[in-house]
Amino acid sequence: MAVTSLSRTATTSLRRDPAAPWRHIDLALAGAVLAVASLGVLMIYSATRRRLLDDGLDPNLFLQRQVAWVVVGVAVMLAVTIVDYRIIREGTPLLYGAMMLTLLGVLSPLGAETRGTQAWFQIGPFQAQPAEFSKVIVIITLAAYAAQHRGDLDGRRLAMAMALAAAPMGLIFLQPDLGTMLVFVAIIMGVLLVAGAQLRHIMLLTLLGITGVVGVFQLDMVEDYQRERLTAFLDQEADLQRSTYNLDQSKTAIGAGGLTGAGLFEGTQTNLSYVPEQETDFIFTVVGEELGFIGASTLLLLYAIVMWRVWRAAQLARDLFGTLLCTGVLSMLVFQVFENVGMTMGIMPITGIPLPLMSYGGSSTLATFAAVGLVLNVHMRRFS
Amino acid sequence: MTPDSPRFRLGLVGVVVLSLFAALFARLWFLQVMASPEYKLAAERNQVRLVRDPAPRGRILDRHGRVLVENRMSAVVTVNRNRVPADQRASVLRRLAAALGTSVPALEERLADKRLNPFTPVPVGQDVPEEVVVYIRENQDRFPGVEAQFVAVRHYPHGALGAHLLGYVGEINDVELKARTSEGYRLGDRIGKSGVEQTYEGDLRGVPGIEKLEVDVSGRVLRVLSRRAAVPGNEVRLSADLDIQFLAEESLRQGLESARTRKFRDDETFFQAPAGSVVVLDVKEGSVVAMASSPTYEPAAFVNGFTSAEYAALTDPANHAPLTNRAIQGEYAPGSTFKLATAVAALRSGVISPGTTIQDNGVFRVSDCRGAKCSFRNAGSIRYGRVDVARALTVSSDVFFYTLGERFWERRGDLGHEMQETAEELGMGIQTGIPLAGERSGVLGTPDLVRQLHEENPVAFPFGDWFTGHNVNLAIGQGVLAITPIQLATAYATLATGGVRYAWNVAADVRTPEGRVVRALEPRVADQVDLPPAVRDPIVRGLMGATTAERGTAVWAFRDFPHDRYPVAGKTGTAQVTARQDTALFAAFAPTDDPRYVVAVVMEQAGFGSSAAAPVARRILGALSGLEEPTPVEVVPGGSG
Repeated sequence: MAVTSLSRTATTSLRRDPAAPWRHIDLALAGAVLAVASLGVLMIYSATRRRLLDDGLDPNLFLQRQVAWVVVGVAVMLAVTIVDYRIIREGTPLLYGAMMLTLLGVLSPLGAETRGTQAWFQIGPFQAQPAEFSKVIVIITLAAYAAQHRGDLDGRRLAMAMALAAAPMGLIFLQPDLGTMLVFVAIIMGVLLVAGAQLRHIMLLTLLGITGVVGVFQLDMVEDYQRERLTAFLDQEADLQRSTYNLDQSKTAIGAGGLTGAGLFEGTQTNLSYVPEQETDFIFTVVGEELGFIGASTLLLLYAIVMWRVWRAAQLARDLFGTLLCTGVLSMLVFQVFENVGMTMGIMPITGIPLPLMSYGGSSTLATFAAVGLVLNVHMRRFS
Repeated sequence: MTPDSPRFRLGLVGVVVLSLFAALFARLWFLQVMASPEYKLAAERNQVRLVRDPAPRGRILDRHGRVLVENRMSAVVTVNRNRVPADQRASVLRRLAAALGTSVPALEERLADKRLNPFTPVPVGQDVPEEVVVYIRENQDRFPGVEAQFVAVRHYPHGALGAHLLGYVGEINDVELKARTSEGYRLGDRIGKSGVEQTYEGDLRGVPGIEKLEVDVSGRVLRVLSRRAAVPGNEVRLSADLDIQFLAEESLRQGLESARTRKFRDDETFFQAPAGSVVVLDVKEGSVVAMASSPTYEPAAFVNGFTSAEYAALTDPANHAPLTNRAIQGEYAPGSTFKLATAVAALRSGVISPGTTIQDNGVFRVSDCRGAKCSFRNAGSIRYGRVDVARALTVSSDVFFYTLGERFWERRGDLGHEMQETAEELGMGIQTGIPLAGERSGVLGTPDLVRQLHEENPVAFPFGDWFTGHNVNLAIGQGVLAITPIQLATAYATLATGGVRYAWNVAADVRTPEGRVVRALEPRVADQVDLPPAVRDPIVRGLMGATTAERGTAVWAFRDFPHDRYPVAGKTGTAQVTARQDTALFAAFAPTDDPRYVVAVVMEQAGFGSSAAAPVARRILGALSGLEEPTPVEVVPGGSG
């Protein structure tokens, strides 16, 4: 009886333990993220089915793959959640080293090149993009370094933090992948600001960043072939007509959606392939055209919920490391959403940045789920 | 919370995030709610391609239903300059040059045509062999921006015959397009530019067919959304007679050629006779039977378009502007043909009666005037003796009409500008109302007009005063006076009808391609002029004398004419033009007892009306009488105007 009683008490205490991590999973965040990912799957299907059909291929090809990535992504998110984020912190040097190795590897002959950018490992039918994962690892690294110094970031430590981020950025610059570099900048700014960097340092950094970018292009610091790659990627004037065409078609798709949209699978801009790279960078146009203002603003609202929950997790975090982890993820997601959606609507320049959890692609999907996993991790362990 | 605490700074981040999302929502609202209608249109335009199938243009027939203008199919290759990808341009042009059997520089030259809108496809090959069309179509992916198709183009079975009357068709220009967009005209459409083609554009054009196609981004046709077949244009049956038109043009050409073999007054230079016009009217129907203008042009030349230089040559005054339809656009001093108006004015106003005679001693002196400039002479100072109005018209006595001119001036207080007003009533110096664009009105000089011209342009008109001499000169058709050939014909037609002045029709009816008459064109009367027998008869008698009586001015031209069975009333005119050789004119109607036809002939720098113009009219009237086989026109020795 006593044993029974004791065991029942133990069980009860286990159930009732207010500090137990699993009791504090942020269901709102998880739910919003899953909702976005599901909508993404549907939109990718809509963006690709007609074209695949026209080409005599299986219309479900992209659908099936993205569903698989989302399933794997959720698993990765849960896996990241299970290990206490403070233990993950211990592995920072290991993660950082692995990241540098893969980034180097992708530039070596092991990496694959498409359209002038060497950014992938070809693994069977899949392409792995290390830069996507490096964003998450840099968040962890910066958060760990800043937390270690308890937010007391003088000039020297700031320089050290910068150096930690600059190393992978340099390798990504060589791919080149300007979009991801910009995401890095957003992460650095967000984490260091919240970590306590002095405002004059932040301003100095901003200035340095601008002169750096200009200098790289003005002072012939890149090889000719790299310059060509870069300018092909960067310089909209070189192919101005084409990029304004893309932008026009993108805005046309969104604008044509109107208040209620053309209906799922009914968008003509989408079905007739007027918008380029629609299942990846321009996936928002499918939402805009087929689901209208109601659908598109719902998606933005879901993102807003995600941001709110991540921001809230940063506020509630038990320690500075947790706060900075969440801040890094917030900076990454906000920048990607704003740049990507803004680009399709013509208020931001066109750069190749995926829309988190919407754009087709394994690396981006897995990396984003992993990042959200970190936030869930911080949130659920705020009492333990 | 201190400004340096992470929480405070996180708050800042939150504000930034909020504002970024606010910006996205605002932009989304703008695109999807406020600006949505435009984008919906753009998406629609993207997806739907309208392919227009121009309707076969209606044929133009002569009064007996014989074809004057029809259509034929022509294979055309065009290049849409802004659809040729820049990186493929060189290779596309190389392939195209090989296919068309031309060179890349030649293609480049055509593509550089500045007259064409950059979005207009440039025709680079016309009437190309069918296999070239097939080749380009089958290899369309290697010819981006190149289109090969069959289009219906105008075909003129009789070449240049009736070119000015028929007009030509060309690609619609910006001005026409602006005015006619609501009528369904689009860039690249063809439209009647002059003559009947222009006047009856609305009938001839038909309704273009439209195919609504759904296309993807690469222009691949996915399905046909709707299709509306083209409705062929209606046919226009003209009042013109193919045979008489041919006769008129041939006679005019022969007349001009013959005139060039003769020498001018000084007997040193040949007449240039570069240009002229013939008008044949049907005064029973109020319509144009033939209308010739020389030099002429090939309307077929407009089918394939031509270079700026070629077009300039067609309008260059040095080439006598072949595009000009002199019948309605040429303005000439009428010379003695104007005496008709003077005679009518004098008889109607009582300045003279049919029996009034005037002594013609070859010279007329203005009363109360001293000096050489006060004398006006007959051509060659010939004396005709005592003449009445009929005889004066027969022999073309200048002295008789000089006298009338002076009398009108003396009685200007109660008669005003009687000569000018009568001329206008008869149809001179006023547009006839013929439905052809560009008709000129001519000029009828009055003291007021002369003063006005002088004030507006003192260089071209150095004198602004009007003296007796002006009236004297005007009475014989000289001075500030210009009429078109159709006006000349109209004046004599009004006399022929006994006062009915027509606004001439050029078409008889409009009919469907199956021949059902849609609309018949009834004669249009512009004015009813008071011409009582007491006025008309002596004049007609005088004009008949011109072709038959002794010393009649056109007797030589009308020698051996079947006058008894087909009497002709006519008047010659020889107009002096500053710094030019004389203009030869002749106007006539026949048969005089029941007038049917009016013929007017005007020949620039061709000499006497009696020797150059009258023979042309005689050949035409001889054939119209049905009594004569046309023989080559031959310039005859001439007397006075």
